[in-house]
Amino acid sequence: MIKLASVNKYFYKGEAREVHALRDIDLNIKAGEFTLFSGESGCGKTTLLNAIGLLDSIDSGKIYLESEEVSTLSDDEKTKLRLTQMGFVFQAYNLVPVLNVEENIGFIMRLRGFSDSEIKQRVLEVASILEIDNLLKSLPHAISGGEEQRVAVARAVASKPKIILADEPTANLDSLNSQKLIDMMRELNEKEGISILFASHDEMVKKSVSRIIYMSDGALV
Amino acid sequence: MFSLALKNILFYKGRSITTFILTFISTVFLVLYVSMTDGSHDSMLKNSLKIYGGAIEIYHKDYRDIGGNEYLIQDVKSIESKLSKIDGIKLFSSRYETYGLLSFKDNSTASMVVGINPTKEIELSQLKSALQSGEYLKESSQNCIYLGSGVASKLKVKLGDEVSFIGGASDNSFSADIFVACGIFKTGLFEFDSSATFISRVYFDELMLSKNKASYITIKVEDLDEVDEVNNEIIKVLDSENLESLTWKTLMKTMVEAMEVDSIFGYISLSLFLIVIFFVIMIYGFINVSSRIKEFGVLRCIGLSKRAVFSLLLYEIFILSSLAIILATPIAGYICYYYSINPIVIEGIAQMYQDYGLVSDELPFSFDIFTIFWNICLIFILNLLSVVYPFFYINSFKPIEASRHV
Repeated sequence: MIKLASVNKYFYKGEAREVHALRDIDLNIKAGEFTLFSGESGCGKTTLLNAIGLLDSIDSGKIYLESEEVSTLSDDEKTKLRLTQMGFVFQAYNLVPVLNVEENIGFIMRLRGFSDSEIKQRVLEVASILEIDNLLKSLPHAISGGEEQRVAVARAVASKPKIILADEPTANLDSLNSQKLIDMMRELNEKEGISILFASHDEMVKKSVSRIIYMSDGALV
Repeated sequence: MFSLALKNILFYKGRSITTFILTFISTVFLVLYVSMTDGSHDSMLKNSLKIYGGAIEIYHKDYRDIGGNEYLIQDVKSIESKLSKIDGIKLFSSRYETYGLLSFKDNSTASMVVGINPTKEIELSQLKSALQSGEYLKESSQNCIYLGSGVASKLKVKLGDEVSFIGGASDNSFSADIFVACGIFKTGLFEFDSSATFISRVYFDELMLSKNKASYITIKVEDLDEVDEVNNEIIKVLDSENLESLTWKTLMKTMVEAMEVDSIFGYISLSLFLIVIFFVIMIYGFINVSSRIKEFGVLRCIGLSKRAVFSLLLYEIFILSSLAIILATPIAGYICYYYSINPIVIEGIAQMYQDYGLVSDELPFSFDIFTIFWNICLIFILNLLSVVYPFFYINSFKPIEASRHV
């Protein structure tokens, strides 16, 4: 489903402080896999996730999504692809502060043009799985960090993307909430068949994923 | 996007209130300023026209440039007959102007001596209401002369004194007479008061052999705003070979140019004010956007296009501007309307104006829907433009960089 061929990424290219962030990455990820990118801080997990999520450009190589090369798409095309094919879960939750939980979960569906009834039904369904159905009318600032992250996951999942990219989603959560979130995401992975790509150095996550890819100094090991 | 913009407005209250207040104030200020400027120009014009000038005047060609008896209008009755059939003309009257020497005892002065129809001039000019002492002219006044206060002062003439006159008649012969000073007027126009004297037309025509002749015909129109249309009608019926019909815009070219210059300086000042308002709104918008870079970054990451971000910013400013303008327009409009009916009286110069008796001490506002409309459109457009720079600023970040912005 996702294929990376000889992907290289540099930061500060040509400068004295140049960093080779991704080194000749060749990778295949099948549909429905629950994949973890693991490694020390600064090994390139987030950079790789951003490259796959088309959030950051690469300097050489190719990225394919369902056999179509996507690394050369225009900015607008990448944005459209992110909207329709991908879901994102960030370390800092990043909910829209002015929208309540229900509106945050349904936000991407609304951008994609789903009807009100479809959005309502799906929001309730996802909120129920993630056990946040009692928080639907709350604003983000009024709920806990663990709940916020579950809302972020619900937002990523609600529009049924093909891939969810989660960058250190448990970094700000306690162990109980982390485990709960991982379990829920695994359940979604199994129920909905969504491919999930995790970047984390949380040991707890390793037990729940179907595949672990280790990284060191920007390369796969 | 509209709903999200509305929620953002309610959430970021500080920025919303500031933008609202700035837009409200600038709308009210702009509408009032333009209304006051237009109103004062209208007032200047009306005052000037009211004293002696006509909205339209008909001359024989070359009279204004060369002058002389060869360029007098020769068949006044025929022209007056044509004018009486034109819609939009309120009143007209012919005037015969000549120049001569007035003397009293050892004092002499040159004067513009004008033969007028006293009854019509009551409506056409302010000559009667400018009466300072004595009495205004009557149709039947024989050798009565109505003197400008400056002329009377130069001659040291009092009411009832006899003033000798010598000048040229319409056939280029000499004309001479002894007039009695029946009245003295003061308009407040220094040059005019120092040179003009008036005589009833009936008596004047006998003296100057000027029956059915005139230097020009002065015309008052029903509506000053339609002066060009009325003038076009007059031109159609006149003998275009010999006569020309001119509006106040040509006749009072200096004043029109002065008003245009005044307007230009006014608009320059106004532009500076609007530029300041524009930048203040833009800076507030920019500060707000800067504090929301992370939010926009997240939105871009999850799939919001640049266009949608621009729409979001545009909706926010659109809603705020619309609300401010909707509230400001009736308030500003009402103030304009109120002061167009009840002009502001400038107390400081009221007494001086009263001494002159003619020039208004009032500062009326102009109430014109179209002018108010373009004023609010201008504010609206400036507000919409104020989101352009913040938008480019947001787009200077990659979505992922912006989502991590602190």
